[in-house]
Amino acid sequence: MNTYARLVYRNLRANLDRASLFFELIFPLFFIFVQGFGLNGIVPPFEIGNGRVVSYSLFLAAGAVTLTVINGGTNAGTQLWFDRKNGMFEQILMGPFTRAQYILSIIFATLIIGVAGSLLVFLLAFPVLGASFQFTLAGVLTVAAALFLGTVFFGAFAIALSVILRSSETFQIVSTFAFFIFLFTSSVFFPASNAPGAIQAASLANPLTYTTDIFRAGLFDAMTPTVSTELAVLAIESAVMFAIAVFAFRRIRV
Amino acid sequence: MSPRVQGVATERAIQVEELSRRYGDKAAVDRVTFHVDASEVFGFLGPNGAGKTTTIKMLTTLLQPTSGRASVLGHDLRTEGRKIRERIGVVQQQDSFDQGLNVETSMDIYGLIWDVPRPQRRERVAELIERFGMEEFRKMPTVDLSAGQRRRLQVAREFIHDMDLLFLDEPTVGLDPIVRRKVLDYLKGRVRDGLTIFFTTHILEEAEYLCDRIAVINQGRIVQIDTPENLKRRFGSAKAVDFRLLQGTSDALASALASVEGVTRLVQDPDTGSYRVTTVRPEFVIPEIYRLADRLAVTVTSIYIEETTLEDAFINLVTDDDRPIAPRGG
Repeated sequence: MNTYARLVYRNLRANLDRASLFFELIFPLFFIFVQGFGLNGIVPPFEIGNGRVVSYSLFLAAGAVTLTVINGGTNAGTQLWFDRKNGMFEQILMGPFTRAQYILSIIFATLIIGVAGSLLVFLLAFPVLGASFQFTLAGVLTVAAALFLGTVFFGAFAIALSVILRSSETFQIVSTFAFFIFLFTSSVFFPASNAPGAIQAASLANPLTYTTDIFRAGLFDAMTPTVSTELAVLAIESAVMFAIAVFAFRRIRV
Repeated sequence: MSPRVQGVATERAIQVEELSRRYGDKAAVDRVTFHVDASEVFGFLGPNGAGKTTTIKMLTTLLQPTSGRASVLGHDLRTEGRKIRERIGVVQQQDSFDQGLNVETSMDIYGLIWDVPRPQRRERVAELIERFGMEEFRKMPTVDLSAGQRRRLQVAREFIHDMDLLFLDEPTVGLDPIVRRKVLDYLKGRVRDGLTIFFTTHILEEAEYLCDRIAVINQGRIVQIDTPENLKRRFGSAKAVDFRLLQGTSDALASALASVEGVTRLVQDPDTGSYRVTTVRPEFVIPEIYRLADRLAVTVTSIYIEETTLEDAFINLVTDDDRPIAPRGG
């Protein structure tokens, strides 16, 4: 078996907390089925681009699927954190692996969690999303790109955080706080273009905004010229965050 | 002897020349030079903070040396790290375990990441669980294990994969005496099969039991390298002579003995009443005890010399103080 495959398999088996994974799935479903339907009656349908008009429950359901991207990303930090705390980080680096293989295996495991989680939430939310889902090849590739880039960004972000923050308590507090900042300054719950100026400005820097917008565009066939720009911005943000994570990771003292 | 695995014959498993690791102004390891022969158990002893773990971290390629050269299993430490790591095993001083798994699965997955084929993994996991007495807790999650059980798992797990050289950094910490002996005997067996072991411990009886040669390191520098027997002979100078009197106590004899040349310490055990003389010259002191007893009309009922231990030699080597130190008592 390939080195990466072995390490990824280990990451998935050894460092994932099943209870946390369960709640990470429940969390978006709660938004889809409770908040989405709850607000559907008072929020009129609106256009999301390319002439596509969707209800609020649909809009939120698509955003909630991308929530799993953040959750998956947080797992990357947790995996590294557990390995450092439990001595497996050094143990693996004294084995026939390189640092690059180790960190990439965490990213790959995170991608699996992020993408698989998103797919699972999508499938569970299919009663809501299914009727409006527009299947096109371009749409599927766009959705895949959004999930991939979003997971890389948040995975790298969580890795950098777990390297910088020395205690697990601080890591949990800071990552949860960052989670809410990313969440509420993005277009997961509302279109950022209609938000107050400060939130709009913050959303422009927020990778979750781009992940969600690109995901929606692919899902509902609402492709506009803006989508390619958003893809480019998200790709750059993910690459920069990945570089920061690698830099931080290389500085871990053993 | 040579390592037999992979058909590569090297006389020296480890060759280290002037190896150093500095943290700012402080040298954690300071220009150490030594070698480890193939199929040898090489003990690396020293007080806390002496540089043992730092040396292991360098030799296992986890840490870059600041200066100096070393080769491990014939591979250069600086340029062939991956090749070295493919052929070594390491039991770290700190715990290392996969917290989401039980004992059996964690061993299996450790074998998997080392690319051990599944049938072999199963066979070895079963064998090691039995050898290390882990049957009772084989299904227990690693987070719920006691410190000793976790240590046992950590040592056993390392034998899932093939290796030519094993680094053991205080592997028996937390183990009870029976398990410890089991582990040491297992290690001895593996050495007979050709494994080379680099071993650190604070339990000097273990080092004496297991090691062919021992290096004593103190404040980052190697103080001495020799066989355990030679170290004891050369540096374990203080010996204890224990004796009892028919009369129980004799202040006159104690007073006279205290001034005998070569006696560095004299104490009486308040519970047993036996006297203990610490001396560098037992061959001179013992006749003196009998001579003085005759003169003072007291009877020596028993007398014996406690052999010098590796601990005596170790303490003498790493203590700046020149005075011989008694093994125990007073």
